[in-house]
Amino acid sequence: MASVVVAFELGGRPVEVLVSPLATLQQVLRTQLGHTSVKDGCRQGGCGSCTVLLDGEPVLSCLLPVEDVAGRRVTTLEDLTPVDGLTTVQRAFLDANGFQCGYCTPGMELVTKALLERNPAPTRADIAEALSGNVCRCTGYVPIIAAVEAAAAAGSAAAVVASEGATR
Amino acid sequence: MTVSTYFQPDSLPEALALLGEHGPDLLVIAGGTVAMPLINEGISLPAKVMGLRRVGLGGIEQRGDRLAIGAMATLTALTTLQEVPLLAEAARHTASWAVRNMGTVGGNLFTPPPGGDVATALLALDAQVELVGPAGARLLPLSGFWTGFMTTAAGPDELVARIVVPVAPGRHAFVKLGRKAANTPAVVTVAVRAAMDGEAVRDVRIALGAAGPHPLRSAGAEAAVEGRALTPEVIASAAGAAAEDAQPFSDQVASTWYRRRMVGVMVGRALAQLASAEQRGA
Ligand SMILES: Cc1cc2nc3c(=O)[nH]c(=O)nc-3n(C[C@H](O)[C@H](O)[C@H](O)COP(=O)(O)OP(=O)(O)OC[C@H]3O[C@@H](n4cnc5c(N)ncnc54)[C@H](O)[C@@H]3O)c2cc1C
Ligand code: FES
Ligand code: FES
Repeated sequence: MASVVVAFELGGRPVEVLVSPLATLQQVLRTQLGHTSVKDGCRQGGCGSCTVLLDGEPVLSCLLPVEDVAGRRVTTLEDLTPVDGLTTVQRAFLDANGFQCGYCTPGMELVTKALLERNPAPTRADIAEALSGNVCRCTGYVPIIAAVEAAAAAGSAAAVVASEGATR
Repeated sequence: MTVSTYFQPDSLPEALALLGEHGPDLLVIAGGTVAMPLINEGISLPAKVMGLRRVGLGGIEQRGDRLAIGAMATLTALTTLQEVPLLAEAARHTASWAVRNMGTVGGNLFTPPPGGDVATALLALDAQVELVGPAGARLLPLSGFWTGFMTTAAGPDELVARIVVPVAPGRHAFVKLGRKAANTPAVVTVAVRAAMDGEAVRDVRIALGAAGPHPLRSAGAEAAVEGRALTPEVIASAAGAAAEDAQPFSDQVASTWYRRRMVGVMVGRALAQLASAEQRGA
């Protein structure tokens, strides 16, 4: 079993890892790169706790051989969280009680970010469909959907402020 | 993990050469959403694996009055396919966003029971499978692709390169029953396509998913509606014939008894949809 070197971009920085063949991106992020926001719920594609963004699109890192992301752009929640403070999405989840144990939260927040980039004003049905691959055992989902709605509202308010600033 | 080598060929000829060299010892994976869970669980223990993400089969192109869909096109790519709305609808009802971003149309043909939802729509569309091997390419009707439980007509030295779908005017209906609204394995999936001749249905195809070892067409239901207007009586007799044609199975999602009942109900709903559908491409 010959190890191989894989190079990709993680949170905007180039990384190089030595891996065994067909190691999953999930294993490598958690055990070699310290990105433990990427959770290890089922390794079956069924829970969404291992979600990362690959070139901005949600994918499941437990089903992805790390060799397949060579040369591509991977983003985890560590990469988005400011050194001090929270993102709009994180703040909305906190304020709306969008988590209890927090195990599903990184995946939920990454999908939320990807959703709001494509659809800044999603309906509740859009939100439920987008998050349908992310399982939460604690909240019952209602506060999570409320959090996404709040993040969307906060995001569009911020966009209005930004565009008003630009026209002045 | 016991995998000794993960091959990532950059072209189809290179992939075929590796397949020829390593034969049945080589496990092929596409999007990995069926194969990787089995490997992670230790149910599948391949020594050598070949990934197809770099072979360049992700494109979708027009070929005359047909659409040639590369086997590596993702399910997400299909969701916006305007030329074949039945296929787009089936893809939107398949799995979750992240799984659709990874899973491929080629892989959907190999999905174990309950089977592929997109594959069921492709069967209703009279799709053909382009297989490539050392002897070159051959086109096979999808209706002859599945040969039994988890077996297909693809040879051990062949890969699915493309899926060719006719683009024709007509009507379609897609109905999937699951135990929740989204990201759910099928209890039953029904895909219907037909040309219309006034009120009469022509060239109808009624495909059933999760109703047998692989997607099936219901010959009985097709015969019950072909050439007829979709009256409630005609729809009821087609629904009954489909329930008889089904070869359902029990799993964690539904029992044999319930699946057979639901095949009838869902075929009835799909045909009612077809009867009320606006004239549009299928
Ligand atoms: C959480 C979850 C939910 C799901 N929900 C659904 C659903 O609602 N509906 C549904 O239909 N499916 C569902 N699936 C199954 C799966 O995601 C899809 O069927 C998908 O299309 C499979 O494609 P893939 O490329 O990932 O397959 P892979 O896992 O890559 O391939 C499976 C096997 O197919 C063969 N194969 C694949 N491509 C080729 C090729 N080009 N040539 C030769 N052989 C090939 C190989 O033997 C391979 O091992 C779900 C899966 C998960 C994990
Ligand atoms: S750990 Fe990847 S989907 Fe559950
Ligand atoms: S907060 Fe515990 S799983 Fe969602």
